[in-house]
This record gives sequence, structure tokens and C-alpha cells, in this order.
Amino acid sequence: MNGFFNSNFSTLPAALDAASTRNTIIAQNIANAETPGYKRKEVDFETYLQQAMGDGDGLELKKTDDKHFQKYPSSIRDVQARIRTVSDTRITNDGNNVDIDQQEALLAANTIRYQTLSRLISMTISRYNTVIKGVR
Amino acid sequence: MLDIFGTMNISASGMTAQRMRLDVIADNIANAETTRTDEGGPYRRKNVVFQEVLNKAMGIRGGFTNTLSTDQLGGVHVDSIVEDQRPFKLVYDPSHPDANEEGYVQMPNVNVLREMIDLINAQRSYEANVSSINATKAFASAALGIGKG
Repeated sequence: MNGFFNSNFSTLPAALDAASTRNTIIAQNIANAETPGYKRKEVDFETYLQQAMGDGDGLELKKTDDKHFQKYPSSIRDVQARIRTVSDTRITNDGNNVDIDQQEALLAANTIRYQTLSRLISMTISRYNTVIKGVR
Repeated sequence: MLDIFGTMNISASGMTAQRMRLDVIADNIANAETTRTDEGGPYRRKNVVFQEVLNKAMGIRGGFTNTLSTDQLGGVHVDSIVEDQRPFKLVYDPSHPDANEEGYVQMPNVNVLREMIDLINAQRSYEANVSSINATKAFASAALGIGKG
């Protein structure tokens, strides 16, 4: 994919995957909205992507050996969605911290994001189609 | 990476759990004035206990790379149905066949108002799971539309 397609073409599917993961996480949170002791899960993708694009804190880990920890993410291609459990808050007496209204809002926003991303991929493909077929 | 049906299964497990809760609430309301049960004594209020389902044990990989993967998520299930151990209500009704010598009858520890609130809660949670399934359906159709032009 390197030469022919531009870099967007590898970032867009990763973003699509992240939105899909977020959908699964929100489904899990909603299903467990009344499970005692359940802690809300969240998905981090956009912050990692920003870090990989150089908008992060700018701190680098010094490596003197290949086995040393690498800073995550090391490049844009490595960026993947990561699931995090938010365990430092509580909303109800039973230790659960899922706000079902917030999850519903996230769900709606995430669906729009997924549809936008898939539209973007379609548009990218159709641009290549235009180039291949030519405009007559 | 969990597939689209896996996400639907999570929401379906939530719906199953909430429906079971509705069954228990219906049982509580139906038996709100039952003074005779198989175990003897009046009916005891029942309550469901939910538990999160994780398919694999968490933290096997350990270390810095220990992140949860979506394949591990399995939604929710009803772990058990427990009986409410709060005391029974005492109602003065000497004509009742189950009344004691002082004329008091032990009535179930069911508060119908509380059950109605739980009922609405369960209904709302059920609907939230339904809207989650609808969102997943929108995802699938958006993904199928990629490249259609």
C-alpha cells in the first residue's frame, strides 16, 4: 500500500477499527450499567494518533538496546485503539460508574464518526477510480 | 478484534439479563400479598445479581502491554437470584387465617412502589441495549457501503 496509496489510506481503516472497538466497549458498558462493582471502559485512539503525528508532549525514550521499552506509538502505522478501565470514580452506591445517558451520547457520536470515516474511504477509492478510468 | 455479531451478542446478553430482572419484578408484584409459600411463611422479595462476563482471565499477559482486548468482552449475565432478608411487614387483621394470637399477619417484604421503580429502570436499560444493537446495525451497513461509489 506504500507507493500507490497515500498515508490516509492506512490511517482511515485504523480509525474505523477504533470506532468499531469503541462501539463494542459502549455495548459492554450499557449491558453492565447495573452490574455491582463494574467499572466503565474507554477507548484511546485519537490521543495516540496525535502523539504519533508529533502533537504530543515531545518526550522521547532513550533506547540503548533493542529490548528496551519503546514509546507507544512509535509511528502512525503502529497506532491502534487501546481499552482502558476508568476505576477511580463511582456514581452509584454499588461501586458502578456507568452513566447510561453519557454512554448513549457517546454511542450516537461514535455512529456518526464511523459513517463519516466509511464515507471518506469510499471517496478516496472513487478518486483513485477517477484516475484509473480517466474523465471522458 | 471482535466481529459485529460479537458486539450484538453483548447487547443481547444485556437484554436477556434485563428481561430476567423484569420476570423477577413481575414475580415480586404478583406475590406482594402472598402469605403462604412452599418454604413456609410469607413470600420473600427476590432480587437479581448481575455479573460482567469476561471470556478470558484478565492480566495474563502482564507488564506494560497488558491491555484488555475486545474478544474478552462477553456482556453481562445474571449470576444469581437472591432473597431479600429484610423483615416481613406486620399487618393487623384478626380475620385472616394466617394471623397469630395477637391478630397480626406477616406480609411479604415487597414494596410495590419500589418494584415499579425497578420496573422502569429495567425497561430503560433494556431500551438502551436495543439502541446499542441499532447502532451496531448502522455500523454494519456503513461498512458494507464502502466502495459502492
